[in-house]
Amino acid sequence: MKAGALLLKMIHIVYMSRAVRPLSDQDLQALLDQCRRDNAARNVTGVLFYSHGNIAQLIEGEAEVLEPLFDVISRDGRHSNVVKLVDKPIAARSFEDWSMAFHPLEPSGFEALQGFLLPQHVPPPPSTLSIADAMLVDLVRLAVFGADAAPTESEPAHA
Amino acid sequence: MREQQLQDVLRRIPAGVATLQGEALRFGFVNEAMQLVLGSPVQEGQPVAEHPGTIPTDLLEVMQQVFQSGRPYVAKAYCIPLPGTDGEKPTPRYFDIALEPVREGDAPVSGLLLFAVDVTVQEEARQRAHQLSIETRRLDTRLRVLTETVPQITFTVDAAGKYEYVSPQWYYFTGQPPTADLNAIWPLLIHPDDRLRVLYQSDSARAAGIGWSYEYRLRRHDGQYRWLLSRALPELHAPDQAVFWHGALTEIHDQRELAEALRRGEAELRFLADSIPELIWTATAEGFIDYYNEYTAEYSGLTKDELGPTGWINLLDPSEQAGAARRWVQSIASGQPYEGLFRMRRHDGRYRWHIIRARQLADERGPRWFGACTDVDDQHRLREVLQTQYDELARTNRDLDTFVYTASHDLKQPVLNLRGLFEELRRSASFDDPQESQIVHMVDEALGQLDATLQELAATVQDQRGLSAPVETLDLRSVADEVLLGLRAQVQESDAVVELDFSAAPTLIYGRANLRSILHNLFSNALKFADPGRPPHIVVRSALTESGQPILTVQDNGLGMELPGRPAPVFQPFARQHPHIAGAGVGMYLVQRIVASRGGHLDVTSTVGQGTTFTVYWFEA
Ligand SMILES: Cc1cc2nc3c(=O)[nH]c(=O)nc-3n(C[C@H](O)[C@H](O)[C@H](O)COP(=O)(O)O)c2cc1C
Repeated sequence: MKAGALLLKMIHIVYMSRAVRPLSDQDLQALLDQCRRDNAARNVTGVLFYSHGNIAQLIEGEAEVLEPLFDVISRDGRHSNVVKLVDKPIAARSFEDWSMAFHPLEPSGFEALQGFLLPQHVPPPPSTLSIADAMLVDLVRLAVFGADAAPTESEPAHA
Repeated sequence: MREQQLQDVLRRIPAGVATLQGEALRFGFVNEAMQLVLGSPVQEGQPVAEHPGTIPTDLLEVMQQVFQSGRPYVAKAYCIPLPGTDGEKPTPRYFDIALEPVREGDAPVSGLLLFAVDVTVQEEARQRAHQLSIETRRLDTRLRVLTETVPQITFTVDAAGKYEYVSPQWYYFTGQPPTADLNAIWPLLIHPDDRLRVLYQSDSARAAGIGWSYEYRLRRHDGQYRWLLSRALPELHAPDQAVFWHGALTEIHDQRELAEALRRGEAELRFLADSIPELIWTATAEGFIDYYNEYTAEYSGLTKDELGPTGWINLLDPSEQAGAARRWVQSIASGQPYEGLFRMRRHDGRYRWHIIRARQLADERGPRWFGACTDVDDQHRLREVLQTQYDELARTNRDLDTFVYTASHDLKQPVLNLRGLFEELRRSASFDDPQESQIVHMVDEALGQLDATLQELAATVQDQRGLSAPVETLDLRSVADEVLLGLRAQVQESDAVVELDFSAAPTLIYGRANLRSILHNLFSNALKFADPGRPPHIVVRSALTESGQPILTVQDNGLGMELPGRPAPVFQPFARQHPHIAGAGVGMYLVQRIVASRGGHLDVTSTVGQGTTFTVYWFEA
């Protein structure tokens, strides 16, 4: 393979799952730390939602990295019922880095964590996503956090 | 010496040995083992009855009887408990005790030989075995009660496939007599369609030494075939060597029928959904589509995978996607029904109007969504055509009103002149004939009527159309938008581009209905006289003249026209520059009349083949 001719195929994957048992703040923090480190190293970006055992995640990156990563994640014993919703090529990334949104049981201290968001502070899906994909992200967020943690009431970028 | 040796041997053997002498049965020789049996130390010469130790009274009595009768006696597993020290419970010990009378020749019995062999271990083992066998019998009974009362038929088959045991339920179920030959009859009761499979499956399971689980139909006593589940596990006597299979048959007929009915019902519903020429789909509680009917694929030209869980959004007209997506998320959040009118792309790229409706079904299986997209394109287009025709009629009507108004206005002057001339005529000419004077009177009356009618006409139209409405400050942009909305069919049809620029003078103080009428006529004129070789491009601008008076220009790139000397025939009623183009021809005339009536004037410049520019000087004559 000639290095210059490498056109890497970018994809994104969205799945939902259930935690096998409720994840504590410590569990989530450990996951956050590990994913931040590994994802940055592998150039994987996206977002993970967690609440009351409900999990949804969007990851984007090169297909050669993402497909095996999803295999590993889906076999992770911390969750089950992993249902893949989308797995398809994208023209460009929509997320700058990797982040995670959840309701900490002990709110203090989490603000300082890098890449952590409170559910109500999750921004609306980026306008680089197609409207169908943005709606998918809105729906998984709704499924994880419920209707109460509705997105910040600003109009989506492509209204 | 030999006596001594014998005593030594007797002392050491592990069985208890003692001699009892005389009628009083006094202890003679007592070896160590016997000392242990008796418990407390034994004094030589002491009668057994007086021994303070462990010898039970019944044994003492038997000793007496043996002495009396001279007949030996052996007691098996006789219990002589070891008294507990310090209040502990005595320990049971068991001995085989032999009592042997001693006599010299025919002499009477002179004493007894007492042997005691400790059989405690054997006795305890025997007792345990006894208890075990009682327990086994109990379990056995319980097992039998259980196997015979559970609703299942239980059975045992050997490695050759012969039935060793079948519970009585089999006989109840099949109605066979207890004498029936199980192995001969059973296969015959299996439904002919299942028989070979069942025999083969159980045969291969037995050959492989594994268990089985399969379903088949067995004939019941009433002749009905019922579905049963047969499950069996092997009993291994050596590793990999199964000797028996124990199993149970459970009747699953009703469940199977139910499942079958459900499957049939679902298949029928799916068939129904697939037969309807409408886009039908279902979605999960989270709002992800999990089923599209066949027609959806046919209509969109996309497979279920290509559409994906939210892909229906991609079918909508791009301008409608965001709103449709927002409302779907709201419906999922609230459970409220979804409804909307959208254009959906067909496989050939054409968009057709659809009503999309979805409702949530909440039952014990949890919430799900059922949706349908109904093609209303034909109705929608019909409505659009009707709307266009209605707009056209309304416009013509308005134009006619305006025409009547302006015409009545314009006729006022000639009527006035006529009346003046007539007065003049009446004054200067004399009518002698009374009939003539009556005619003069009639002409006078007719003139009066004409005048009144004209005034009434003008007043009626004025009221109806609001042409006489007081002036107000109007936002040019919003009135122009309103007018363009009425003309959207023509704009779309001709692919026209209309540029509005009112930045130089955004407002105008004018009559609303008048302004609308003027803009309408100018715009539709520009659209109507478009050059068929290029899409119309209309530029509408407001401006202020040097003297600060507002003007409006409407410039098109249409056919253009020859402009003769003034008064320009363009503005004459029924003057038609382009006879081949439909239109009443009164439009420009009306514009000119309205503008003039408000103290302004209309100007036109035009180049054939390039376009025309109208300029309205609102308040400059
Ligand atoms: C809900 C969930 C999301 C996860 N997301 C990621 C992720 O985005 N990136 C990642 O590297 N590991 C993620 N993991 C962790 C992986 O499953 C796996 O544990 C991790 O990659 C460690 O693998 P390793 O021990 O082979 O390094 C996730 C695990 C769970 C339970």
